Amino acid sequence: MYKSFALIGLTLTLFGVTESAFAATQNFTLYINAGTLPITGNGGATLNVWGYGTTAVPVVPAPQLTVNEGDTVNITVINNHNINHNFIIKNVTTDTSAIAAGASKNYSFTAPAAGSYVYSDTLDSNVNREMGLYGAMIVKPTDGSQTAWIGGPAYDHENVWVVSEMDKPRWNDIAAAGFVVDTATYKPNYFMINGLGGFDAMMDMDTMIMGTLNTKSLVRIVNAGQFSHSLHFHGNHFQVLSINGVRQPTPFEQWDTINVPPMSTAEVLYSINQTGHYPMHVHTAQAEGANGVYLNGAATMIDMQ
Amino acid sequence: MKKLTQAIILGALGLGAQHVHAATISKSLCVGSLSKTLYGTSTTGKSVTFWGYSDCGGGGMGGMGGGTATVPGPIMEIGVNDTLNISFSPMGMMTMEGAPYNGHTIHLHGADVQTMEDGVPETNGNMVMGDTYTWTPSAGHEGSYMYHCHVHTVKHLEMGMYSAIIVRPKNASGAFLNQLNANTTTAYDYSQNYILSTVDPAYHTASGDSVVFADYNPSYFLMTGKEGKSTAAPAMTLAAAKGKKVAFRLVGLHSTNATFQIKNGSGVAQPFTVYIRDGRTLPTAKTVTSLDLSPGQRADLITTLPTTSSTWYPQITYKKLRANTDGTYPAYATVYGKVTF
Repeated sequence: MYKSFALIGLTLTLFGVTESAFAATQNFTLYINAGTLPITGNGGATLNVWGYGTTAVPVVPAPQLTVNEGDTVNITVINNHNINHNFIIKNVTTDTSAIAAGASKNYSFTAPAAGSYVYSDTLDSNVNREMGLYGAMIVKPTDGSQTAWIGGPAYDHENVWVVSEMDKPRWNDIAAAGFVVDTATYKPNYFMINGLGGFDAMMDMDTMIMGTLNTKSLVRIVNAGQFSHSLHFHGNHFQVLSINGVRQPTPFEQWDTINVPPMSTAEVLYSINQTGHYPMHVHTAQAEGANGVYLNGAATMIDMQ
Repeated sequence: MKKLTQAIILGALGLGAQHVHAATISKSLCVGSLSKTLYGTSTTGKSVTFWGYSDCGGGGMGGMGGGTATVPGPIMEIGVNDTLNISFSPMGMMTMEGAPYNGHTIHLHGADVQTMEDGVPETNGNMVMGDTYTWTPSAGHEGSYMYHCHVHTVKHLEMGMYSAIIVRPKNASGAFLNQLNANTTTAYDYSQNYILSTVDPAYHTASGDSVVFADYNPSYFLMTGKEGKSTAAPAMTLAAAKGKKVAFRLVGLHSTNATFQIKNGSGVAQPFTVYIRDGRTLPTAKTVTSLDLSPGQRADLITTLPTTSSTWYPQITYKKLRANTDGTYPAYATVYGKVTF
């Protein structure tokens, strides 16, 4: 399940400022371990995974790191798994060296521009990432506003969608047993948003877009998988705010389907302009299912009240 | 299901009447089966069974049994502020899966209609044995849309239950304008609808919650229902006059990555201008020589032909969803159109 653990910058609330940054220090500790990810419902299975977690139990996707622009961020990654791993926040950190089994490493950086970032283990030709070692870092604007960035579009609700796939028989089962994965062949049979099959994601309050009339949801899409994913929203078009960290010129383009390539991000603003219940799903054939079972794949719901 | 259309609301308020010639366009659609002989990389054709929509409006009785099913189905053109009323009769044993995926719907993809018009059985009450669908596109919503069945989409869309709806601007007399939207800079002399789709024959014989649907291996690649595997045997052709403008409407009903380009006889990519994506005019039109179109997307664009006679080849390259280690996406196949001028 998806959990965030944002640390609140006390300086901001103490002084009640909005215009200037009082950068806080944010400390995170992540543990790498082997674990499992259950996809429930028809077609589901328990997937063997490796993941980052705030305890000895890894979660997939990894914990959401929420910080403010300009914060000093210190992340300690402790590798309690039995092979090498690493930790890279794409476009933010640069140390690609391995953390040996039983070792740990510290990463310190100043939080970059407000936006959505993806972090992962980049070792072993995508095997470590495919096994579940990926997550999102969300950087908020310093002024505490509910905007995508200072001066950017405002929102009422926020969703973070980490989209991914797993090839259970050819990758997860093999790697978990300590064997070498044939990375030339990748036929993922599980497709997830926030580590959930569609049957769960369509009822998960953190994943669903939910809102009342005339409110807006900022949807942060992070593709941590190896497939391009084309996400189609029913019910309304959205405004395309940023693509891979590049803020788009205004007025924003309005689409109803967005392609998010592997290891990239996109931020869109979805307005609740009518009432009703609508799906949001990846429009690619096999991505809609769990091992072939329809709708237990990369899908969630839009609940407009 | 019927709904209060915007045209009715506008009419009640006495608004918009000065320039709106809102028509009601009624269509009756049915479903039928058909087969296509497809070749892919083989020299031996393979017969693949499809399900397609048909226009059965002439058959009376809601069109039961009328019309010939095609893939893609009938392309519908409507004007801004027109009301499209589709009466849909999906009955036919040849084109049914067993429960829970029996029946069919029409999803008006991109139309942002009310839930009851959206054709999604999981949200609209499961009216899969016949329904009506109503849509009144507003001004500013010109462009290409699509419709497809939303029952067990992984199977039914793949089977061929799809086509395009084109929303066009109209003049004061209610006649279609040959321009992409209300802006005269989008005027064109010719237009072509390129409907992108891919075919994995295993999906055509599997049904229900089969593990077959966990892995997509397309072997046939279509442009508006045809293979068009070479410039010598294009899927779509257009004979145009020199120096004129040609509009292309790209409608993404495929299940892979795809890139559209227009190449001349020497293989050099030619510029075109994208004015509309997903039925919304871009704030800034974009002139490019290549456009990626992912599953579910649409684009409306215009190219200007040179003033000397030649032949151009608009083309779709279908690509895998997973990149090579160098970040490029390996191509499955390229499907060609042809414009002579």
